[in-house]
Amino acid sequence: MKFHDLKNRTAKPTGKSESLYTFRFILVCLFLILCAAGLLLRMVDLNVIQRKFLLKEGNARAIRVMKLPAYRGMVLDRNGVPLAISTPVKSIWVNPHLFKAKSWQWQHLAKYLHYSEAQLKQLIHENHKRYFFYLKRNLDPSLAAKIKALSIPGLFLQKDYKRFYPQGSSLAAIIGFTNVDDQGQSGLELAYNKWLRGISGKERVVRDRIGNVIARLGILRKPQPGHNLQLSIDYRIQYLAFHSLKQEVDHSKAKSGTIIVLNSQTGEILAMASYPSYNPNLLHKSDDPNYRNRTVTDVFEPGSTVKAFTVVNALDSGKYTPTTKVNTNPGWLRFGKDYIHDSGHVNNGILTVRGILQKSSNIGVTKLTLSLPPDSLWQVFHKVGFGRLSSIGFPGESPGVLIHHRIWRPVTLATLSYGYGLSTTTLQLAHAYMVLAEDGIWRPVSLLKLNHIPEGKRILHKHVCSEVLNMLESVVERGGTAPRASIPGYWVAGKTGTVRMVGPHGYELNHHIGTFVGVAPVTRPRLVVVVEIRDPRKGSYYGGLVAAPVFAKVMAGALRILNVAPDRPRKTGGPHA
Amino acid sequence: MRATISETKVIPAVLFDRWFLFAALALLFLGLIMVASASIGISERGYGTPFHYIIRQICYVGLGGFCSFIILRIHSDYWQRYGGYLMLLTLLLLVIVLIPGLGREINGSRRWLGIGPLGFQISELAKFTVIIYLAGYLVRRGDEVRSQVVGFLKPMLLLGIVSCLLLLEPDFGATAVMMMTALLVLFIAGVPLRHYLALICVVGAGMGGLAVSSPYRLARLTSFLNPWVQQYASGYQLTQSLIAFGRGGWLGVGLGNSVQKLFYLPEAHTDFLFAVLAEELGLIGEAVVVGLFALLITRIFMIARRAHRLGKDFAAYLGYGFGIWIGLQVFINIGVNSGMLPTKGLTLPLMSYGGSSLLVMLMALAMILRIDYECRLEER
Repeated sequence: MKFHDLKNRTAKPTGKSESLYTFRFILVCLFLILCAAGLLLRMVDLNVIQRKFLLKEGNARAIRVMKLPAYRGMVLDRNGVPLAISTPVKSIWVNPHLFKAKSWQWQHLAKYLHYSEAQLKQLIHENHKRYFFYLKRNLDPSLAAKIKALSIPGLFLQKDYKRFYPQGSSLAAIIGFTNVDDQGQSGLELAYNKWLRGISGKERVVRDRIGNVIARLGILRKPQPGHNLQLSIDYRIQYLAFHSLKQEVDHSKAKSGTIIVLNSQTGEILAMASYPSYNPNLLHKSDDPNYRNRTVTDVFEPGSTVKAFTVVNALDSGKYTPTTKVNTNPGWLRFGKDYIHDSGHVNNGILTVRGILQKSSNIGVTKLTLSLPPDSLWQVFHKVGFGRLSSIGFPGESPGVLIHHRIWRPVTLATLSYGYGLSTTTLQLAHAYMVLAEDGIWRPVSLLKLNHIPEGKRILHKHVCSEVLNMLESVVERGGTAPRASIPGYWVAGKTGTVRMVGPHGYELNHHIGTFVGVAPVTRPRLVVVVEIRDPRKGSYYGGLVAAPVFAKVMAGALRILNVAPDRPRKTGGPHA
Repeated sequence: MRATISETKVIPAVLFDRWFLFAALALLFLGLIMVASASIGISERGYGTPFHYIIRQICYVGLGGFCSFIILRIHSDYWQRYGGYLMLLTLLLLVIVLIPGLGREINGSRRWLGIGPLGFQISELAKFTVIIYLAGYLVRRGDEVRSQVVGFLKPMLLLGIVSCLLLLEPDFGATAVMMMTALLVLFIAGVPLRHYLALICVVGAGMGGLAVSSPYRLARLTSFLNPWVQQYASGYQLTQSLIAFGRGGWLGVGLGNSVQKLFYLPEAHTDFLFAVLAEELGLIGEAVVVGLFALLITRIFMIARRAHRLGKDFAAYLGYGFGIWIGLQVFINIGVNSGMLPTKGLTLPLMSYGGSSLLVMLMALAMILRIDYECRLEER
């Protein structure tokens, strides 16, 4: 009933056409039609006319060029045994703005990454303003798969390569290491970085704002894998050399030690070790002194080991033969206020040239040198490579010091003749003895495996070198300075060296470097081995006692490994006799 | 009510507007597809499942359908009678939502009243009830409104109060839509032009003053003119929206292929759904949506016009009101998306994600359907 009342009330008593306000209704309709038309025009403007600009802006925000990591080449030993390998790993990165983990996800993630939950939360909180940070780099792929399975929002995985060094610390200083970005940081990894690293590829992708790749537009450049690098190193000899050196350095509580095994016929370095070393597979501190390859970076005064070249100089002059007698009485010489003595202040009396070498007489070599033109000794030293960089191009290599004086003072010449006043690296010493072993032919040394022997250059007379080598045999015989360097079955020629270390106040009384350089087998030299032990604190410091045993062990082992036939019968007798 | 049921049984012919229903259902369906597409990314990220939002939206459609079904069974005269009570209830809710602890604050606006996981935007309800109340008022006091200043000012006072409550939330978009709808309905109802122009000046000045007094509103108000100047600050959202239009081109990048919805464009599934539609379906898709809305509003106006001619003034004003409301909200939403208008938080009717908006819109459409039905019955 009430509806009827309402209807009666609403019904218009007057003519409907007037009260309907048709004109106003049409105006409102027109207004709405105008709105729609405006919208459509604007749409055409945006979708068609401004499209190019808007597409450009959109692409600038969403399209990115991503790096495709290239595989870094392997480092191999001369027989193809891997010394450094890149293996695929995963890195985990986090966008803290999106990171959202439930409590069980926190738990598992912390467990997998070896953090406590609190540490993990702290870590993410510390970076909460960033949009990208690495939570963990270079994870084992199987562990990464487990973490991925947690499917935590805001946590992403990235493919990377990590370097592994199967030989561990024995070659660490030589091969060096790479950083987390797989770029060489030291050693050969640094020197041959360009060769090893390859060229990373480029790919155009569309990414959402969070960083997920949602479409791949195409590869701009394919990743090119790096090249392998084959070294001249024989990992078996390297292993032997490193561990023998380590044993001696540890035993004598020395500060450090170096060793080089050189193929004298080709100039290839078969082993090169520096101790103390480090584990290249672990994370690196930035300033560990053990990163140095001491065989080429650290210099020392070679001392008596260069006497071989002093004698070469003497024989080369034609004034001396191995049997020429030299008077070393009374066991000392005076230059103004400086005195020089023979080792142990003994008086060796009258010695032959051969005897000078065998007894390592300072007076003897001084007298030989002073009787010759003053520049000739420097010439010989320079020719065999002292004071010059080798050709291996090792980062941080030192050229050593060999000063050329315009006017040679007698005392300068005297000290130079027995190995003071110049400094060399272990490698330079080995290289110099390689010339002796090759009868005066000089060849470059190499850390890379050579396919053919480089052409040599004659720098010393053949007969002089073989005579000196022959004399050096007596050093390892009974009565010489290093009988411990002898090896059963092979003729060995060598020379000891024991020098005082230089400290802040000149030569130190109680700090020495003991060295031994040797060549074997003398009948047809194959190997040169240099051992240097720096600052031994326990037992003897003489090269003949501290370095010679290491030499004998490594030389014997290396000759065996290389299947070099023994040249010395059981009974004694000189090879050149 | 009894009479109505018996009549449906007697007359088997079609008693509803087919084009209206088609347009409404097509928009609703397209809206669901676009919400599903636009929300996959953020749903996956926020809830670990791609269908969080679309499932909720389908639930709202179901709820809206249920409410519509009830409304279809209620004679429009009831709304005329109880419009006043409804208005009082709305005013009460608008006050309650402002009380901290009762109203829920999201993104700096206190717009929601909630029970458990369900939240409802009172401002959506306010737009709906204001139109019902105004239609009733114009029927009751039509002559007064048309002849006296006081008759015109009385409903304006009420609108002013509702506007203030809405602005306190704040909900600038809802206020604008409500005020403009009310003014246009009053215009159609025949308010003298001099009153009208005076009021438009007052309201315009008020809104302008509000915009200038709050710096953030001014910044929002001016940044849309050249969003590229502040493209990583105040213009960020708009530039991302414009990029979506540009990427769309003529035919769009294809359904589901939008890049902008992947976290570049904020509110991609709610206020900026149209931009995602523009990117995925292109100019063609945009034109279809605008066309469907035009069809819907045309049919609503035709229904209202017929009611007017039949002397059912309440139904007519209701129709005009709902039609203008939908039209304005579509215009503002798309205008905001395409950078023609300053950025305001307004949903695209029937399409955007959001339960309150969808529910209220479905109820309004059900009311139109009911009016149409009543008119068709009378014409027979």
